[in-house]
Amino acid sequence: MRRRLTRLTRRQTRLLAGVGVAVAVIVALLATGLGRDPSVIASPLVGRTAPNFTLPQLDGPPVTLSRLRGQVVVINFWASWCTECHVEQAALDQAWQQFRDSGVVVIGVNFQDTAGAARSYVSTTDVTYPVVEDSDSSTALAYGLRGVPETFVVNESGRIVDHVIGPVDEAALVSEINSILLARAR
Amino acid sequence: MNAAGTLRRVRTSLPGLLVLIALAAGLATLVIVAVSGHSPASQAQQVQQVAAGLHCPICKDLSVADSPAPLAQQMRQEIAQKLRAGESADQIRAGFVAAYGDSVLMSPPRQGVAGAAYYLPLLVLAAGLMAAFTTLRRWLRTPQPDPPGAGSPHLSASQRRAVAKAVARLREEEPG
Repeated sequence: MRRRLTRLTRRQTRLLAGVGVAVAVIVALLATGLGRDPSVIASPLVGRTAPNFTLPQLDGPPVTLSRLRGQVVVINFWASWCTECHVEQAALDQAWQQFRDSGVVVIGVNFQDTAGAARSYVSTTDVTYPVVEDSDSSTALAYGLRGVPETFVVNESGRIVDHVIGPVDEAALVSEINSILLARAR
Repeated sequence: MNAAGTLRRVRTSLPGLLVLIALAAGLATLVIVAVSGHSPASQAQQVQQVAAGLHCPICKDLSVADSPAPLAQQMRQEIAQKLRAGESADQIRAGFVAAYGDSVLMSPPRQGVAGAAYYLPLLVLAAGLMAAFTTLRRWLRTPQPDPPGAGSPHLSASQRRAVAKAVARLREEEPG
């Protein structure tokens, strides 16, 4: 009788330990999932070669990404109707002015917009970097775009090293570009 | 040639004629199916099929086929364009996965961590069935307790009768 009781207790202990482990695993999974910001979706393109494109400029010759190999390229998807794009435009322009002579190119890719509205916005604001039209959104889809603004930073070897959803922060962008240029200089 | 002879000949060749008609009808059906498979309507269906398997990246629980969002419309156009260029449905899906990740698929992929969505329910079901089977077997093996007042649980009814008889005999043999 005593031996049987001992065996039952052991079985119960094992059962309890099993249930405990299962609960711990579920809690850990939930904690990991719930602790993540659902609006921040990591792009699978980071670390990979940036999809190539040739797009017509609003005012100027077409731009081909692969021809800019060897330079740091900041690709910013924007639209004239997007208010958050207006917020970040000064930061992008500042970066372009600061680094254009150091082998850095900023490209604005106009998304889900009309050429007229885009041209009007560019002419009335201080956009000095090249702006291209993605009229059929094929480039936006190749970059896995979900909305605007979204920005991709491409290093000199053509790899995407950063992806920003929402307006870019000037300090963060400058720091990112500086670190790429420093790595290149070494 | 008389009428009876003609009738006999028709009767003899009728099964063969029916087989020929059936074969011709089957062949015609196959030709119609093959031809309609390459019609423009079929390509639209193919676009719909691929789009139905892709999740609209800016929508909640809507496929690219069902979403009215401009991005979903552009994705449908992109699918049609790629199909016209000769890409297969799998290649098109792979292209969208490369840009958006696995989350663009309406059903998670069967390989990798996401494959757990397919295998885990089966594992849980198997574990549940095993637990149910083990419990049931244990219940069936456990001896049922005798009803209260039935005497010793180790004696059968015939044994109890034999004991009662023996006790009665002993009492009779007792002097006085």
